[in-house]
Amino acid sequence: MALAEICGLSDAPFMKANSFSTDDAGIELFKLSGNMEDPFSLAVPPFANPCEHLAELQATGENSGIKMNFDHGTTTLGFKFKGGVILAVDSRATGGQFIGSQTMKKIVEINQYMLGTLAGGAADCVYWDRVLSKECRLHELRNKERISVAAASKIMANIAHEYKGMGLSMGMMLAGYDKRGPALYYVDSEGTRTPGNVFSVGSGSIFAFGVLDSGYKWDLSDEEAQELGRRAIYHATFRDAFSGGIVRVYHITPQGWVNISNQDCVDLHYKYQAQKEAAKH
Amino acid sequence: MISAENFPEYNVPGVVKHDFHPYESNGGSVVAIAGDDYAVIAADTRLSSGYSIHTRKQNKLFKLSGTTVLGSTGCWCDTLALTSLISARMKMYHYLHQKVMPTNAISQMLSIIMYHKRFFPYYVSNILAGLDADGKGVVYSYDPIGHCELASYRAGGSAGALLQPVLDNQIGLKNQENVAKDPIPKEKAISVIVDTFISAAERDIYTGDGVIINVITKDGIETRNVSLRKD
Amino acid sequence: MSILAYNGGCVVAMRGKDCVAIATDHRFGVQGQTIDTNFQKVFQINPQMFLGLVGLQTDILTVKDRLAFRKNLYEVRENREMTPERFAAMLSSFLYERRFGPYFVEPVVAGLDPKTSKPFICNMDLIGCPNAPDDFVVAGTCAEQLYGMCETLWKPDLEPEQLFEVIAQSMINAFDRDAISGWGATVYIIEKDKITVKTLKTRMD
Repeated sequence: MALAEICGLSDAPFMKANSFSTDDAGIELFKLSGNMEDPFSLAVPPFANPCEHLAELQATGENSGIKMNFDHGTTTLGFKFKGGVILAVDSRATGGQFIGSQTMKKIVEINQYMLGTLAGGAADCVYWDRVLSKECRLHELRNKERISVAAASKIMANIAHEYKGMGLSMGMMLAGYDKRGPALYYVDSEGTRTPGNVFSVGSGSIFAFGVLDSGYKWDLSDEEAQELGRRAIYHATFRDAFSGGIVRVYHITPQGWVNISNQDCVDLHYKYQAQKEAAKH
Repeated sequence: MISAENFPEYNVPGVVKHDFHPYESNGGSVVAIAGDDYAVIAADTRLSSGYSIHTRKQNKLFKLSGTTVLGSTGCWCDTLALTSLISARMKMYHYLHQKVMPTNAISQMLSIIMYHKRFFPYYVSNILAGLDADGKGVVYSYDPIGHCELASYRAGGSAGALLQPVLDNQIGLKNQENVAKDPIPKEKAISVIVDTFISAAERDIYTGDGVIINVITKDGIETRNVSLRKD
Repeated sequence: MSILAYNGGCVVAMRGKDCVAIATDHRFGVQGQTIDTNFQKVFQINPQMFLGLVGLQTDILTVKDRLAFRKNLYEVRENREMTPERFAAMLSSFLYERRFGPYFVEPVVAGLDPKTSKPFICNMDLIGCPNAPDDFVVAGTCAEQLYGMCETLWKPDLEPEQLFEVIAQSMINAFDRDAISGWGATVYIIEKDKITVKTLKTRMD
């Protein structure tokens, strides 16, 4: 370093040749997008209690013109019956009262035998369902058998519990067919996880439950069950402003899931309307 | 919540409360339309803050690859941070895999990178347009925390609510009876985009000055400029 | 959520060549819940004049009744029909009476002058600041969407049939992007010698 001293070079960090190495760049990049490698590594916000403070930022934004609305709103339902499991969902995504999309896919195809529905924050549900898909596939590779719905829902509930109080918003059903038979679980962002026969989740669920409970019995035929799910979602889209678009019906049998129908609410409404008129005469 | 603000008589004189305002709205709108063998994406060129205009010549379209363009508006500093991160990530992908990142992979990466800041989001309205592996046009739209949806046309930004129903009507042919649902030709898509921006500039003060249009086809990305009202 | 968006709904009015059109949606809701799908927000005030009111439903009914009372009193005293301009001026001062405790309504007036048949459209904010342009006026929870649609579709000197097409398309496509408006729509076309009422088939979700 004699030459450096003669030339009067300082040894401050920014004068060192290796002060910014490619390793540092890698670390920097990991800090900015760490969840590309590890999905659980999310950025820490510059404030405590993100649930409360992020909501505050969003609320003050209403006055300052900074409107940060996440996509929301839904009606989803699922029930078990003798022929398997039915899932039915709408397809509307609303940000505030603006309809962001009428064609959203609210059923995630986790694998050939398992489906997940999503309600609440769209980004939360889609992101963590993708993580769940990965975990399920890894389970399959490690253990040489498909994951049970019970185990998959437990993974989801564990994720939800890990982030409890941080403001995630998810209400999902996991449905599938495994070695124990048909399975249906409800999991939400509070950490709840419960098996059951009939569920409905989302802003329009109260309307869907009305139809579902009045028509539900274990011994429904396949067609009856599919129509019950479709009708329940249709009636929810009619009464609930934040549900609508396309009614999608899925049926899970021992052979895996089948997409039964994707019908536009307009066509369904005028079809049911015509049936009602015909019944009068 | 009980805090000192509920009891004004206990306030210390001279104390000023400072809130945390990390975001700014810099305005701007983006529109994108996908066709059979093209994708068009356009953004206005006004960058503003409140009632003042920073510049009338800000390009808000980012060419990510030869077949992908990102349109981004909202908080401009977030847009800059996000786009530079994306280009770094895309270079890494390029060196690692010896190929340019395809549009669908970029769309998924963008979603994950945006979700990384789930608890302190990028305040941006993103629309990604490009060609998929088969050369077909695609448009992806995002919410601030990375919910991504594939669409064939989409409007976003400060005039998103004004522009979207017009696209539904003119491109999606919604609520029109007895019209043939033919594919939209490229020039028609561009003229609809220009018309919608002229309309938006009439009513949205954050949109105006000019439009930069990127037309993405298998032959490359062509840029066109149209001027808008400047008041 | 703003109190003006508590019940949802929208109204739009447009000027054509020697005619005006006014359209309303049919929804009455309480936030996300749809209570009624046959609540029209446009009321006929005179043979050639209509009033549209959006905002809080209870105030819509009150304002409509109180205005009808004042208008009747005027017509009995003066023994002549009220012009749309006069009606709008009365509405404006009526709303300003409640400057510090306003009715939560945004009104739209559309009509033809009973003598000259001159088209007139006007809207106001909730404390009565009038605005009478020569193209179109919008009000309601999907005002932004309506501005976008009208600004693109409207042209000067539309004939009644064309005007119907423009106002119907503007209305439907605008409220299809708004969660709390829609569930049917009615259009009124007001011409010198006739009024055409058309109910539109729309999405019901």
